[in-house]
Amino acid sequence: MKRLFSVALGILTAIGGFVDIGDLVTNAVVGSRFGLGLAWVVLVGVVGICVFAQMSGRVAAVSGRATFEIIRERLGPRAGLANLGASFLINLLTLTAEIGGVALALQLATSVDPLLWMPVAAFGVWIAVWRARFRLLENVTGLLGLTLIVFAVALFMLAPDWNALAGQALQRGTPQDEPVATYWFFAVALFGAAMTPYEVFFFSSGAIEERWTEKDLATSRLNVLVGFPLGGLLSIAIAGCAAVVLLPASIDVTSLSQVVLPVADAGGKVALAFAIVGILAATFGAALETTLSSGYTLAQYFGWSWGKFRRPAKAARFHLSMIICLFVAVAILATGVDPIVVTEFSVVFSAVALPLTYLPILIIANDREYMGDRVNGRGMNAIGTVYLVIILIAAIAAIPLLIITGGGA
Amino acid sequence: MILSDLLGSDVVDAHGRRLGALVDVRLEVSGRPRQLLADTVVVGILVSPRSRFSTWGFERRDEHAPAIVARPQRWLHRGMFLVDWRDVAVVDEGRVTLRDGAEHLDPSLREAPRSH
Repeated sequence: MKRLFSVALGILTAIGGFVDIGDLVTNAVVGSRFGLGLAWVVLVGVVGICVFAQMSGRVAAVSGRATFEIIRERLGPRAGLANLGASFLINLLTLTAEIGGVALALQLATSVDPLLWMPVAAFGVWIAVWRARFRLLENVTGLLGLTLIVFAVALFMLAPDWNALAGQALQRGTPQDEPVATYWFFAVALFGAAMTPYEVFFFSSGAIEERWTEKDLATSRLNVLVGFPLGGLLSIAIAGCAAVVLLPASIDVTSLSQVVLPVADAGGKVALAFAIVGILAATFGAALETTLSSGYTLAQYFGWSWGKFRRPAKAARFHLSMIICLFVAVAILATGVDPIVVTEFSVVFSAVALPLTYLPILIIANDREYMGDRVNGRGMNAIGTVYLVIILIAAIAAIPLLIITGGGA
Repeated sequence: MILSDLLGSDVVDAHGRRLGALVDVRLEVSGRPRQLLADTVVVGILVSPRSRFSTWGFERRDEHAPAIVARPQRWLHRGMFLVDWRDVAVVDEGRVTLRDGAEHLDPSLREAPRSH
C-alpha cells in the first residue's frame, strides 16, 4: 500500500512538475496561431524527455554520479567548462523566466504590479531552497500544479468542434497564412519547452539527493513514463484552449492573462482561481528546480560539496551560488524586460543547449565501466540515436530560425 | 606541469618523425585512496595519428554503442596507440619525443601495461 502510494505520488508530481512557464506560454502562443497544428511536437518532446530522464536517472542511480560530474570527467576540463558555461547561462535564463512567471501569476491574483512581486518571488524560492526538505518541495509544488488540469476541463466546457481540432492536429504541413520558417520556429520552441535541460539536471541530481539505488529505478521509470505523457496532455490542453478561444478571435498571446483567458471564459472565476493556483505552483516549482539546477551544475563541475541533504553550512558555495543566481534573475527582471519575452527566448535557447547534456549522458549510458550490465539495450540505443539526431537538428536550426523569423513575429 | 600542458602536443619518434597527437594520458592508482582521490601515477600516453579531438573514453574498451557516436570516434582515432611512459624521452612544450624503439601498444584497457 505504501509503495502504491509512493508510485501514485511520484506520477502526480511528475504531471504537475512537467508544466512550467515555458510550456504555458509557448503552448498558448502556438495554440493561438496554429491551433493544434503543432501538437505533434509536444508528443515528440514528451517521448524525448522520457528517454532522456530515464537514461540520466539510470546513470545517476547506477554510477552514483550526476550529470555535470560526468560531463567534466568525460569531456575534460576545457570542453566541460564551455559546456557548463552554455548550460548554466541558459538555465539562468530559464530561472529568470520562472521567477517572472511567479510574479505574473501573483499579479493575476492580486493586480499588484509584477515588478513588486519579483523580489518576493525570489525570496520565497530562496527560503524554500534553504529550509525545506527536498521531497516536500517536489510534492507540494507538483500536487498543487495538478490544478492546471482546469485547462483540460475548460477545453471540454468550451464544447469545441472536436473534428476541427483533430483536423488541425492531423493536418500536414504549414497553415497557408503563416510562413514556413515561422511554423518551424515555433516547432523548435515547443520542443525546447518540452525538453528543457534543467529537468534533467534536477532529475539526475535529485536521484542522488534521494539516494536512489538500482531498486528505485522501476518506480522512477513508472513516474516518468506515466507522469510526463500526462503532463504533455496538459500542455496540449493549454494549446487547445488557445486554439478554440484565441485563434478565431485573432488574439496574440503576449501576456499571462491571455493564457488564462479561455479558462475564465469557460469556467468563470472559480476556474480562473484554479488556473492561477496551478500556474503559481508550476512556475514556483520550476523556479525551485532551476535554482537548484544552477547550484548543482556549478558545484558538480567544480567539485564543491552539494546537495540539500547537507546542511547549508556544509555546502556553502552551493547555496551561495544559488543566492547569487536569484539576485541576477531579479536584476534582469528589474530592467523591466517582459518575462513573457524572456520565456520565449529561454525555450529556444534550451533547444540550442540540449545536445550539450544529452550526448554525454547517451555515451555514459553505454559505458560498462560506469554502468556494469545496466548499459542501454539495443532498443534504447535505437531511440536514443533517433533523438540525438532530432536534438541536433533542433539545436542547429534554432538560432537561424530565430533570426529569419524575428522571434516568430 | 599539468595535464593541460601535455594534451594536444605533437608526438615524435627518436628521429623527429611526427607520429600523431597526444590525446590523453593513462593513469594508474599507486597509493591508498585518500579523502577525494587516490594517488595516481602516469603509466602511458595515448597517441592518435589523425586527430587531436577527445576520445570521449571510447578507446578504453571495445565499445560499439551507440553506433552513431562510436563509429565516427573509431574512424577519427584509427591507428591510435598507447606508449609506455618509460618510452618517453623528452617532454617539451607542445612536443613529446619518444625513445628509439618505443613500442606501440594496444590502447584498450585490458592490454594496458600493469607493471612498472
